[in-house]
Amino acid sequence: MRNIEEQLWNYLDGTCTPQEREVIEHLIATEKEYQKKFEEIRAFELELESMELDAPSMAFTYNIMEAIRTEEASKPLKAAIDNRIIKGIAAFFILTILALVGIALASTNWSAAASGGINMPKIQLPDSKNYFSGPVLKGFLFFDVVFALYFFDSYLRKRKLQQQA
Amino acid sequence: MQSKFSDIELIEQTLGGNQSAYADLVKRHQRFVFTLAMRFTKTREDAEEVAQDSFIKAYRSLQNFEGHSKFTTWLYSIVYTTSMTFLRKRRLDTSSIDDENNFIQVENQNAGFENNMAENKSRSFYLNQAIEQLLPDDATIITLFYKGEQSLEEIGVTLGIEPNNVKVKLFRARQRLKEKLERTLKHEVKELI
Repeated sequence: MRNIEEQLWNYLDGTCTPQEREVIEHLIATEKEYQKKFEEIRAFELELESMELDAPSMAFTYNIMEAIRTEEASKPLKAAIDNRIIKGIAAFFILTILALVGIALASTNWSAAASGGINMPKIQLPDSKNYFSGPVLKGFLFFDVVFALYFFDSYLRKRKLQQQA
Repeated sequence: MQSKFSDIELIEQTLGGNQSAYADLVKRHQRFVFTLAMRFTKTREDAEEVAQDSFIKAYRSLQNFEGHSKFTTWLYSIVYTTSMTFLRKRRLDTSSIDDENNFIQVENQNAGFENNMAENKSRSFYLNQAIEQLLPDDATIITLFYKGEQSLEEIGVTLGIEPNNVKVKLFRARQRLKEKLERTLKHEVKELI
C-alpha cells in the first residue's frame, strides 16, 4: 500500500520518468485499488493546496520599517559615507597639490638659482611673548577650568541617569 | 495594494535608497514568512519576532543577493536559519524553567483547543491543527511545497539538503500529516457522538 502511495505521489509531483508515468496512468485506469488511492491522495493534495496562510499583526510592516530606519539612523557617520566620496575628495586634493607644485616648478628661474641662490622673501613671525603675557594666559586657563568643570558635571549627570535606569 | 513591480525590481529600488520599495517587498511576502515562522515557533508572538528578524536580516544583506536563485528561496533560507537559531536559543532558555510553567503552557493550549471545538470548524481548521502537531521540519517542507511555490531543488537550497532527501522527507511528512489529520477527525467525530 505504501508503495502504491509513493508511486502515486511521485506521479502527482511529476518526479517520475515518462515510462513510469505511463505505467501509473495505465494502473489508475485499470486497477480499482490504484483508482481509489489516487482519488484519496488527490483530494488530500487539493486540501493542502487550499490551506490558508496565517496573517501577522497590522503593524508588522511598520515595525520592520521602523527598526530599519532606527538602524540606519544610528549607523556611525564613517560607515554611512560612501567610500567613493572619500576617494574623490582625496583625488581632488592630490591633483590640486600636484598642479600647484607643477606651476611652482615651471615658474622657478633655475638659472638664477644656479648662479647665486633663490631669493626667499623674509617672513616676519609675530612675537609670541605678546600672546603669553600674564592676564591673557590667566584668562585662557580660567576658561579651560570652567569648560572642564562643565563637561565633568554633564558626565556625572549622565552616569547617574544610567544608574537610575 | 500589492506593488506592480517584480521582486528583483523592488530590490534594485531598495538598493538605490528607496526604502518604501522594501516595505512593498515585506507586504508581498509577510504572510508566507509569518506562516513559515509559525511552523517552528508555534506561537504568534514568537513567529512575529522571527519573521521581523528575518526581514531585517534580509534587508541588511540585500546587496549580497546575487539573483542566482529566486528572491523567495533566498528569503526562506534566512527565515529557516533565523527560526533554527530561535529554537536553539529557546531550548537553552527553557532548560532552567520548572515543570510548573510548562504545565501551564500545555494546559492553556488544551483550553484553546477545547474552546475551538465549540466553534463551527472547517476541514482546513483541522488540517492547520494537524500541521501544528507535526515536527517543524515536516511542517516547513509541506508549507514550502504547497504554499511557497518552491520546487524540490529550491526547498533543498532553503533547507541545505539534497533534492532527493527533500523528496523522501516530503513523502514522509505527508504520510504523518495524513495520519494526524485522520486521528484528529476521528477524535472530533467521537466528541460529537
